[in-house]
Amino acid sequence: MRSGPSTTAIRLTGINKTFDGIPVLRNVDCSIAPGSVHALLGGNGSGKSTLLKILAGVHPADQGGTITIYGRAYAAGSYGPAIARQSGLRFVHQDLGLVPDLTVSENFALESGYPRRAGMAISWRGLRRSTRQSLESAHVDVDPQTLVRDLRPSDRTLVAIARALRDSDEGSHVTLVLDEPTASLPQHEAGVLLEAIRRCQSRGQTIVYVSHRLSEVLEIADRISVLRDGVLVAERSTAGLDEAQIVALMTGQEAREPLARGMPEADARPVLTVSGLVAGPLRGVDLTVRRHEIVGVAGLLGSGRSTLLRTLFGNARMERGGLEVDGAPARLRSPRDAIRRGIALVPEDRGKDAAFADLPLWENVSATAIRSYWSGWRMARATERRDATRLIRTFGIRTATPNAPFTHLSGGNQQKAVLARWLRLDPRLLLLDEPTQGVDAMARADIHELIREHVARGNAALVVSSDFEELESLCHRVIVLRGGSRVAELTGPRLTEAAIAELTQITPKEPTHD
Amino acid sequence: MTDVSPDSAVLPDQAPAPRRTPVAVVGRDRSVAGVIERYGLLLLLVGMVVFFALLPSSGEAFRSAANINSVLASQAVGLTVALALLFPMAAGSFDFSVGAVTATSSVMAAAAVSHFGLPLFVAILLAVASGVVAGAVLGLLVARYGINPFIATLGMATLLGGAIFAYTNGLQISKDIPETLTDLGSLSVFGIPRIVLAAALIAVAVWFVMRHTPLGRHLFAVGSNASAAHLVGLNVTRIKFLSFALSGLVSGVAGVLLLARQGAATSDNGMNMLFPALTAVFLSTIVIEVGRPSVLGTVIGVLFVAVSVSGLTLVGAPSWVSQVFNGAALLIAVGLAGISRRGADPARL
Ligand SMILES: Nc1ncnc2c1ncn2[C@@H]1O[C@H](COP(=O)(O)OP(=O)(O)OP(=O)(O)O)[C@@H](O)[C@H]1O
Ligand SMILES: [Mg+2]
Repeated sequence: MRSGPSTTAIRLTGINKTFDGIPVLRNVDCSIAPGSVHALLGGNGSGKSTLLKILAGVHPADQGGTITIYGRAYAAGSYGPAIARQSGLRFVHQDLGLVPDLTVSENFALESGYPRRAGMAISWRGLRRSTRQSLESAHVDVDPQTLVRDLRPSDRTLVAIARALRDSDEGSHVTLVLDEPTASLPQHEAGVLLEAIRRCQSRGQTIVYVSHRLSEVLEIADRISVLRDGVLVAERSTAGLDEAQIVALMTGQEAREPLARGMPEADARPVLTVSGLVAGPLRGVDLTVRRHEIVGVAGLLGSGRSTLLRTLFGNARMERGGLEVDGAPARLRSPRDAIRRGIALVPEDRGKDAAFADLPLWENVSATAIRSYWSGWRMARATERRDATRLIRTFGIRTATPNAPFTHLSGGNQQKAVLARWLRLDPRLLLLDEPTQGVDAMARADIHELIREHVARGNAALVVSSDFEELESLCHRVIVLRGGSRVAELTGPRLTEAAIAELTQITPKEPTHD
Repeated sequence: MTDVSPDSAVLPDQAPAPRRTPVAVVGRDRSVAGVIERYGLLLLLVGMVVFFALLPSSGEAFRSAANINSVLASQAVGLTVALALLFPMAAGSFDFSVGAVTATSSVMAAAAVSHFGLPLFVAILLAVASGVVAGAVLGLLVARYGINPFIATLGMATLLGGAIFAYTNGLQISKDIPETLTDLGSLSVFGIPRIVLAAALIAVAVWFVMRHTPLGRHLFAVGSNASAAHLVGLNVTRIKFLSFALSGLVSGVAGVLLLARQGAATSDNGMNMLFPALTAVFLSTIVIEVGRPSVLGTVIGVLFVAVSVSGLTLVGAPSWVSQVFNGAALLIAVGLAGISRRGADPARL
């Protein structure tokens, strides 16, 4: 590889990408300085992931574009994954691509192959040794023989990075590309990751990454590129930039004033009363959620947050405890029972628990309301589609057509579609597990607003989030779970991001099943 | 369908007005590639028809009303079996028992009239009921007890094949099959074979259930993601059960048509009907509504194979060509379905 005195590590010129006749990237020119941390920003569906996939050679760019890496130019047509790898580009996919039931070293072998002893047998010792070396050189303190499922979430991301960076010796021009690496990480875990990114940078590596967490971007990135509707609208240094300015760049409008926290007083009437709830990791949780109230749940992974929501939705067995919905005792044996009582759940794992990946967007939005369109002898399809189309607009879901398969939507837009599916039922109690994961700053504000308006109509919401800033700005009250028990409740002036962070993470490393 | 007018919807006006510049919502993908992807097989079918109709060595015979009717009539039972397979496939399970259930139903009907002297009407009811029972048992095994559908349905097919052989002793049942029934298999109305009309009627009924009832939508939701279907409040166990029960019902009807067409029930185990049905259903996933099985697609798939085989036979291809063509079509359909699914999501970055 040539190592001339390039002032750019990667330069993209005239990149266009069209899906099914619809332009997604328009004449994007972008350059990334060697040794910098470069953030790629933009609203949901603005084309960030598509641009990274082009850089990875997974999607071909349209004819005419050029990709130049450390001085070597490739025409868009002749570029592919092999060239990307040879040129020192290393990618970490958003889903990390790790197999949870294999050990760390086996996951390494998935990509680099198993070392063999003379003959055929796999050299397990050799594999462990090389894995340990890769982990050490990336400063990841993990035993190669641990199962990936037993790792903390941030360690999983770090392992994926170490795997991507394996056998990339220090001197060469390595660029690490990360798509939303921190989207589903709690704050302190995200901190560990940012630390690792800084370390890579200090070794002279270049980092390109996508994030919707603007405070994090300002903290770590040297430069940003901003995409809006597939057009690169800004490329500049982060010096002197603040979040409002970035949002303005992303939207092309002045940033909206953050809405005042004034919300209707919580009503005395409880929508949900839980007493002595024992289920999975939960050991006797008491909880009341009143009308007009948004209650947050904070805790580490493994503290039982998601189990709490799933139990309240009839999707996890309640071993002991009492449950009242709207003052009447409720037995929820299935999500169906819960939905009948006016409860809705936006689950944490969208791909596994919410996405009908191959079905059209409009059917995904309709999934909770199919029966209501039965007219007695046939489905009122036209009405159903019209309603779905309307919801797609109301929720600002970016799509070429309501018929687009769900997988063709960008991550944030998928999340909005799942929210739309539930909010249309006007549920009494809205259970939200990481509701704004992967959602851009503007849509996040919109979603928060939707939740506020929803409770203002006399409903209630229970929100689990790893983003404590979100809990602080959204909730009336936050309860903190640790080890399956409720250890604190924060309200009023005590409800701050810092207080939540402190209360959740008193216990150090602990196993991380949720 | 591009009814996108946002006005006059019946939703509670709960969500706030759009804050973003509204995104243009256009109709379905009309790019050339999209059209070819969706209608490729249909175009190929039309091409085949035109080709064999114009080819000097086959044209005259191929175009004759007799040939057209014979191609259609010979596919009526096959289409019905494929339609039976659609239900479990939509809900995400394989069903290898449809052929065997069809064969069983046909033996049941023949035995009822021929060996037990029951009236035709009762015999038909019994035959269809046998299909429903077989389907319901499979539904219980798969939906309730979580047995792999692959294994459960193969087991059922083997069991039924054995039972047929035991009962018939390898002989066919042809005595006293009522003419009312065999007429259905051989006569025409207005020049169209009755059995083709019967199959068309069943196709319309299945299409209606798939497309215009909540059950149809539920089947596809379960087939797409069972966990998500459960979490939007669907009773996944019940829906999977129904998919097999309906498959049994339609296979039962297919058995009656088979008897009508052949005039006798054979000791055949029905496995030779399975593969054309699988081929047709897989072909259906690469046409019109790409990525999901459909009734219209299945009809196109059945016709595509039938027309091709008929044409090839008329130009003098040997008889094994039909099997080879079926096998090749199945492999190509499965391959293409895989590619289009992967194309939807080349890498989750
Ligand atoms: N395979 C595909 N086929 C058709 N359209 C696609 C495909 N992949 C992405 N798109 C469309 O391209 C646009 C950009 O998507 P992309 O995933 O790049 O957005 P993004 O900026 O990463 O958004 P997010 O922040 O939500 O992840 C979206 O409108 C999306 O619907
Ligand atoms: Mg993305």
